[in-house]
Amino acid sequence: MNCTARIISIYAADVSGVCSALYEYGGMTVIHDASGCNSTYTTHDEPRWYDTESMVYISALTENDAVMGNDEKLITDLCDAAEKLHPRFIAVCGSPMPAMTGVDFEAIAYDTENRTGIPVIAVDTNGMHSYIKGAGAAFMKLAERFSKPHDRLRGTINLLGVTPLDFSLNGSVESMKKWLADCGFTVNACLGTDTSLDEAERLSQAEVSLVVSSCGMKTAEYLQRKYGIPYVVGAPVGERFSRILADSLRAAAESGENSLPCLSERACGGEVAVVGESIISASLACELSLETGRGVRVLESVGESEMSVLAEGDISVDDEDMLQHELKGAKVIIADPLFIPICSADAEFVRLPHEAFSGRCFSKEIPDLINTDVIRKLGLRGKI
Amino acid sequence: MIKVAIYGKGGIGKSTCTANLSAALASLGKRVIQIGCDPKADSTINLLGGEPVTPVMNYLREHDEEPTLVEQISRIGYGGVLCIETGGPTPGLGCAGRGIVSTFSLLEELKLFEKFKPDAVLYDVLGDVVCGGFAAPIREGYASKVLIVTSGEKMALYAANNINSAVKNFQDRSYASVRGIIMNRRAVEGEEEKVRAFADKNGLEVVADIPRSNDIIKYEDMGKTVIEGDSSLEVSKRFLSLAQLLIDEDKEVCP
Repeated sequence: MNCTARIISIYAADVSGVCSALYEYGGMTVIHDASGCNSTYTTHDEPRWYDTESMVYISALTENDAVMGNDEKLITDLCDAAEKLHPRFIAVCGSPMPAMTGVDFEAIAYDTENRTGIPVIAVDTNGMHSYIKGAGAAFMKLAERFSKPHDRLRGTINLLGVTPLDFSLNGSVESMKKWLADCGFTVNACLGTDTSLDEAERLSQAEVSLVVSSCGMKTAEYLQRKYGIPYVVGAPVGERFSRILADSLRAAAESGENSLPCLSERACGGEVAVVGESIISASLACELSLETGRGVRVLESVGESEMSVLAEGDISVDDEDMLQHELKGAKVIIADPLFIPICSADAEFVRLPHEAFSGRCFSKEIPDLINTDVIRKLGLRGKI
Repeated sequence: MIKVAIYGKGGIGKSTCTANLSAALASLGKRVIQIGCDPKADSTINLLGGEPVTPVMNYLREHDEEPTLVEQISRIGYGGVLCIETGGPTPGLGCAGRGIVSTFSLLEELKLFEKFKPDAVLYDVLGDVVCGGFAAPIREGYASKVLIVTSGEKMALYAANNINSAVKNFQDRSYASVRGIIMNRRAVEGEEEKVRAFADKNGLEVVADIPRSNDIIKYEDMGKTVIEGDSSLEVSKRFLSLAQLLIDEDKEVCP
């Protein structure tokens, strides 16, 4: 069977991506779905849920309302909730049931905004895509709706695609900011974590965008189209690759050209495989390649990551059987521990938990790999 | 861009009117896309010499994966009209309305409009606005105008009234609005008075008066529109006049 997972986990869905992307902006995120339980969307893979409040709600869609197309109930509930909670904006997104009945969320957003006077954005989700598509669309809507034209500020960087689904709350966001500061840059906006709506508003004043995960790619493309801001694709994983990334940011500021250093600086192929989201995996592969002089393969396992960073010999494979087959040739596998059951016992398995895949299961194990000795951090010395 | 959705009672001649309007627009030099939004998938057949295009839903069913190219689910017909049919699920199963929504999402992903750069897009929609999916063609970004096809028959006018009411219900949603009525004559006694009375009551304009014509049937048997068959016929001239009206109105909006 294609596209099935009998053994391994699956990645967080698009709706979880929306919730994570919009968590800190003071908006009210409403998922149009049955029940009132939030655990499906936020609690399992959202570490901020336990100590940071955010207005995330489920509409409690009933069978009758779905069959009758009773959008008015949702709109009225949105208006009532907005009156009580005073969110800075409202985001509505869909689950499988409204997807099947063809609910027009753009129209609901339009109508609700006219009634409340509060900005309302509709994020295109159906519960059947990955967190990358959901978070990517949510960030993009945020940028479209709230960014305003500003004069360019020299030396400023937008960090795009920073959600705990990819960068757990393990100090890696602080490390990225420190690394940028040490390189002489100023963070203009950090979309997703440790952020505010003011940062979304001033996105246009950055000199360059740095796309650290696939969740930030659409926004980077939008900011380039709209404001002419070039982008660099790669996460500052490891010391050598971080230096290259800093040079790429300087070059992009100078030339206005985009670049993908996590693709261009890497030796391809080889018996070491990094499994996961493409940009972070490619960045790690690049660092390992630079450190060892050997090729490192990326097995993009989400199915919806940014594909332009994949090199010759890399593959995007979100089907369990195919992934198992691809992993057979690897002597060292760096992946989330929930991939272990489909890896050969002969391969050296290096645990690199990913919150979007295993949620809270191994969150305390997730290392901060930003601008650091990743060989040591991952215990790879002597293995590759 | 001219963006029109054509609604009306089942069997009233929507596909005939839509295909002739597409052909008329094309013969006036416009790049046209016609999208049939009916599980029967017969909207564009008379633009294609009687050889149907593979409907999108059929493609999905047969290949179990989405097409990657517009060419896989479209064919070029008379006058360069790009013909697409949503089709539908296996009869008696699934959800045809959802199929329309899925098809539209797919066409967006395939960047149909960006690539083909049409001057006019016509959506030929199944009988009535029965559920959310069949309202998809009048959502923001798709059709901006609705034309309702009706004859003077009681049930056709009844359906036209339902469609007009349904579209009005969406006025808070920035959807399309009803531009007018295409009177497709069926030789009913007092037909013009009945249709004009309905139009007047609802504040609508009769934008085209299509005479009953055996030429339509004659050319449809040959897999053609009357525009292709003989553009000098009176019935063809009526479609050409409607096409010109839409072109002129579009010029006023986008000079």
